[in-house]
Amino acid sequence: MTAKEVAGRIALYALLAAVTFLVCFPLIWAFFTSMKPKDEIFLWPPTLWPETWTLANYRALLEGKDAYFQAGAASGTAVPPSAFFLDWFINSVIVTIGTTIISTVVSTLAAYSLTRFRFPGQRSVPYLALIGYMVPSIIFVFPMFLVMVELRLTDTLLSLILGYVCITLPFCMWLMWAFFRGVPIEIEEAALVDGASRLRVFWEIVLPTAWPGIVAAAIFTLIVSWNDYLFGRVFMNSMENLPLTVGVMHFFDGTHVDWGLMMASSVLMTVPMALLFMALQRHLVAGFGAGAVKG
Amino acid sequence: MDVRLERLSKSFGTNLVLKSLDLTFPERKFVTLLGPSGCGKTTLLRLIAGLERASEGQIFFGERRVDHLTPGDRNIAMVFQSYALYPTMDVAANIGYGLKVRGIPRPERTEKVGVVARVLEIAHLLARKPRALSGGQRQRVALGRAMARKPDIFLMDEPLSNLDAKLRATMRGELKRFHLDLETTSIYVTHDQLEAMTMSDLVAVMDQGIVQQYATPEEVYDRPANLFVAGFIGSPPMNFAEVELATEADAPVLRLAGRTIPAPAQFDLTAAPNRLVLGIRPQDVRIAAAGDPRAIPGTVWMTELIGSERLIEVEIAPKLRITAEVKSEIRAELNAPAAVAFDAAKLHLFDPQTGRALPRRA
Ligand SMILES: Nc1ncnc2c1ncn2[C@@H]1O[C@H](COP(=O)(O)OP(=O)(O)OP(=O)(O)O)[C@@H](O)[C@H]1O
Ligand SMILES: [Mg+2]
Repeated sequence: MTAKEVAGRIALYALLAAVTFLVCFPLIWAFFTSMKPKDEIFLWPPTLWPETWTLANYRALLEGKDAYFQAGAASGTAVPPSAFFLDWFINSVIVTIGTTIISTVVSTLAAYSLTRFRFPGQRSVPYLALIGYMVPSIIFVFPMFLVMVELRLTDTLLSLILGYVCITLPFCMWLMWAFFRGVPIEIEEAALVDGASRLRVFWEIVLPTAWPGIVAAAIFTLIVSWNDYLFGRVFMNSMENLPLTVGVMHFFDGTHVDWGLMMASSVLMTVPMALLFMALQRHLVAGFGAGAVKG
Repeated sequence: MDVRLERLSKSFGTNLVLKSLDLTFPERKFVTLLGPSGCGKTTLLRLIAGLERASEGQIFFGERRVDHLTPGDRNIAMVFQSYALYPTMDVAANIGYGLKVRGIPRPERTEKVGVVARVLEIAHLLARKPRALSGGQRQRVALGRAMARKPDIFLMDEPLSNLDAKLRATMRGELKRFHLDLETTSIYVTHDQLEAMTMSDLVAVMDQGIVQQYATPEEVYDRPANLFVAGFIGSPPMNFAEVELATEADAPVLRLAGRTIPAPAQFDLTAAPNRLVLGIRPQDVRIAAAGDPRAIPGTVWMTELIGSERLIEVEIAPKLRITAEVKSEIRAELNAPAAVAFDAAKLHLFDPQTGRALPRRA
């Protein structure tokens, strides 16, 4: 390496470090803040490192509302919002998993049929779907709310799942469609000649080949449904049915914000997603269809 | 097992791709489907494989009619032009997949895969994924997948076309060997006439969805049935010239570019029209001395060295040029006078109306 190359390397890593710091700083800040007692959060000048460490915020979030009911506050009025955190978390998990399963399964099957069978509109459907995805969801949300009212589904997790499926399915389908187009039909024909049934070909040949695409579609759906605020705000109203994103807004009651709880919730919301990403990342690139034909 | 096609037709929409073929592929023979791009070779192979449905006609494997069967029920193996290996499976799983689908238990499968891999010399690659293989290795895996199952019919669609010239030459020999070892009927699609001529027991020359000639490689080369086959087989292509049939001193003669040459005796000229197309392969043309009375004089139009041979193109009349393939020692100056000569026994004659070769004497 010449001196010039070394300098270039150093500059590159410096830049990467700066960007990484910029991206991570809010997370680091949130983490340390969540570990501070209330009076320390507003210290001036601000400190990053907590002087006294406390898990009080996490305890408040994770103890659940049963403790309050058992304590005799049966009316429920005295139950603080933080007691609902576990409900919200479970709601978000259910809605996210439900949406992801429905969206990926339906989009995979739909996209496969779009690339492998001939029927009218076969060419235009993927593009129409993409256009549908480009329309901002705020345009859909109120008409969909009215539909949910008709269906008597408002304030149910199912309404959220349906809403998220509506906004994620078109893009997932387009993604899988683009992916299946790249899977050569010859490998399916080879499997047919080898004696496999159509279903078996789909299960043993097509799906494994399409796996990175399916993971990408699933990650997209996970992000959208885990992070959405709009649908949860419009469709849901009882305290125990809210998704996380809408629920945590109750830590902000118009007069003051409970930053400790807010930051602890942020950490708890971010960690599962971060772990999931680390687990799924390698599937995104591994086993991609290269090498099947020619090359 | 022999394969029999009866009045087999296939059209895509209004495009009639195969036109009522009647063709038999004899048991254990290596038959090549040879023809220019788009003539329907792949379509025919896919019909036999069951990947495409015939518009009309029937397909028999031995006595069994198969055209309603799925590909899996026909017990065929097929090597695709693109190899079509399963990208997510390793080489062993690729080769063994057909056995797995047929419910062969794992120990037996592993053993069979091992045998095939040893024959193909890919035993050291069994744990690799297709993307970690070279073109030649993929090709062998594709062959191995076809061989593992002991198919009744072995179908190959241009399996060598993605390989470099050297590997192609090696694989030609190996493929022929595998065919002999497997003792199955093989149907091989190519547009490379060298492959067709070197490997086949029989060649079906196809054009525009019709089999133009179905015969041994020697026959196809020495006695082309029509103008298409004559022009398609052989490199450089056969020379064609219009000639007039006449009689001189009670003997039939041909008039070519103002010269008279004796008519070839091997053709029966009794019913021949008096305008004919004469064909002569460049390999059968000699460059003669300028004074040779039986030679046709002209001027050198173009010369081209191709390894140990040289192509000399001689213009014997305006717009009428004859190519000769001669030893490279023979030199020719551009625009210098030269004469071409040929043996009447090597001539081919065709009816320009029908394109068919004139009948030969028994
Ligand atoms: N699925 C299809 N739909 C419509 N037309 C088709 C289809 N498959 C083939 N054809 C047409 O049928 C004709 C024969 O095609 P085929 O693939 O059999 O040619 P080929 O002899 O194998 O040519 P090549 O040497 O280029 O592979 C072509 O004109 C092609 O356009
Ligand atoms: Mg073809």
